[in-house]
Amino acid sequence: MITLSHYLVLGAVVFCLGVAGLFINRKNLIIVLMCLELMLLAVNINFIAFAYFLQDLAGQVFVFFILTVAAAEAAIGLAILVMLFKVRGTISVGELNEMKG
Amino acid sequence: MPELPLLLEILLKIGMVVSPLLLAVAYATYAERKVIGYIQVRIGPNRVGPRGWLQPIADAVKLLTKEIILPRQANRYLFLLAPVLALVPALAVWAVIPFSDGWVIADINAALLYVLALSSLGVYGIILAGWASNSKYALLGAMRSAAQMVSYEIAMGFALVGVLMAAGSLHLGQIVSAQQGGIWHWYWLPLLPLFVVYFIAGVAETNRAPFDVPEGESEIVAGFHVEYSGMAFALFFLAEYANMILIAALTALLFLGGWLSPFEGLLPEAAFALPVIGWLLGPGIHWLLLKTAFFLFVFFWLRATFPRYRYDQLMRLGWKVLIPVTLVWIVVIGLAIGFNLGPWFS
Amino acid sequence: MTLELAVFYGFAAVLVLASLLMITVRNPVHAALSLVAAFFAAAVLWVLLEAEFLGIVLVLVYVGAVMVLFLFVVMTLDLNVSQLREGFVRYLPIGGLVALVMGAGMIWVLTRETVFERTTPLRAGADYNNTLAIGQVLYTEYVYPFEIAAVILLVAVIAAITLTLDPRRRRTSKSIDPAEAVKVRAKDRIKMVDLRQK
Repeated sequence: MITLSHYLVLGAVVFCLGVAGLFINRKNLIIVLMCLELMLLAVNINFIAFAYFLQDLAGQVFVFFILTVAAAEAAIGLAILVMLFKVRGTISVGELNEMKG
Repeated sequence: MPELPLLLEILLKIGMVVSPLLLAVAYATYAERKVIGYIQVRIGPNRVGPRGWLQPIADAVKLLTKEIILPRQANRYLFLLAPVLALVPALAVWAVIPFSDGWVIADINAALLYVLALSSLGVYGIILAGWASNSKYALLGAMRSAAQMVSYEIAMGFALVGVLMAAGSLHLGQIVSAQQGGIWHWYWLPLLPLFVVYFIAGVAETNRAPFDVPEGESEIVAGFHVEYSGMAFALFFLAEYANMILIAALTALLFLGGWLSPFEGLLPEAAFALPVIGWLLGPGIHWLLLKTAFFLFVFFWLRATFPRYRYDQLMRLGWKVLIPVTLVWIVVIGLAIGFNLGPWFS
Repeated sequence: MTLELAVFYGFAAVLVLASLLMITVRNPVHAALSLVAAFFAAAVLWVLLEAEFLGIVLVLVYVGAVMVLFLFVVMTLDLNVSQLREGFVRYLPIGGLVALVMGAGMIWVLTRETVFERTTPLRAGADYNNTLAIGQVLYTEYVYPFEIAAVILLVAVIAAITLTLDPRRRRTSKSIDPAEAVKVRAKDRIKMVDLRQK
């Protein structure tokens, strides 16, 4: 039988992979953005699991809003990234050490 | 395993949908060449078999026996995966398409959403093909197609929002039954702008002429599938035609009453009670097939008639014309529903 | 093993494997594709949890739009992969350690407490309409958050457009305006010079 902890453990594992990804790919801005998406996905899995096992739709509504905000974040993040590449010619975090545009 | 008979039943149903679909794809290519031939005052394929009837089979044999060439610098796994990724969503969408009342593989509530989600997956096959080929023309085609498909998806989605507002359901069977009551009750009339936008967006989504800039033979050779040959190319071809038939079928279901008969309400009740003629005049799968065939013909007609759009014109049409039109019409539908405007929303 | 459990373990494995690939592969395009696979597996799990609306929306919004944007950006930017991989090996131990400690802690808590042993008493019937249920709470109880979300999306649209469309920089790029290009007449480009002796 699938229990709530099955899904929560899965969410925890995916979240930790996202965190590890942030650490080891810290130079690559685009992978950092993707790791953020992965961590949000892990959180969403937890919300949906709670919504199902507690029979409460509030969790699903919350996921709906997280998806909205995360999509907006991805769009703006990518726009900034493209501008950054146009101006600096690189997206390596190590090179972005001054505040002039 | 207790699920075994169920699995067998599902497999049988899938076979019953996919095999006629593949046959339809084969003969759609034949029909396309014939239609365009006659439009251009020639007779089209006429050598293989009587009146060229066996031409699609000859083409299939040719494609099957040809070598699949792998470019040396290509990413081979993604290169071979891309055609599969293009074909799978194109076939998987058919799981929720009803052919007549209740004739559907998976009768799900969120069918319209499922259709929209899966048709948005088709773009992966194309961009991966373009990227994995490691060729500049292929990459250009892929980039064009990614931008085009994502843009037109929005207009398409808004057109579908209008339909689901009018029908009050995402279930395709319920959308069709909401259009009951004769040809004037079908959604093509109250949702006329959305109907037009949906079909145009559908043509753009399938990368068909006049929106075939991702392929654009005369500018970028053949776009994303320059490097493909043999069976891998055939899969792209299958996906494109399966998507085309899908858009035609969906347009028929959403705006032209699907399997409903156009004679409903026009002829006296006694006409529908006649033995064979009554069945032909009444609702049934034959009406859906007829309407689908009509829209398929329009696809070919457009290809034979219009020159290719320039890329910036295409983007302008999508963002500055189609999307505003759908937004305005969604407001109009909202008002019409709010005021119970008859005979559609009462 | 029931079919449900098999589906859960199958797609959970796909999800974890895809996440692992995403953070370790060298090529950003492959990383984006792994993330697509992860989203897809998660969507299947959500459908298993009777959240079919959100499952399909995840495929529609993330797989169909957001990840296409990511791929589009990765493919068009000329990235220097070796520069971006700098420090990968150096931070691998600490990253792995942090993730391991965090994960172990969370799993320890999650498997120890009996609260999380909960199984759902009964599944919803075949006529349960998840889309309808979400719509009903979204437009009543959560109508203000819903409108705020809409405004956030609008702001994001405007922000993304203004960021990438910088009018000062427009002339520095080599892009041509096709509308201007077709308007060109011969007399704009050719100057006729009369060379005959007068």
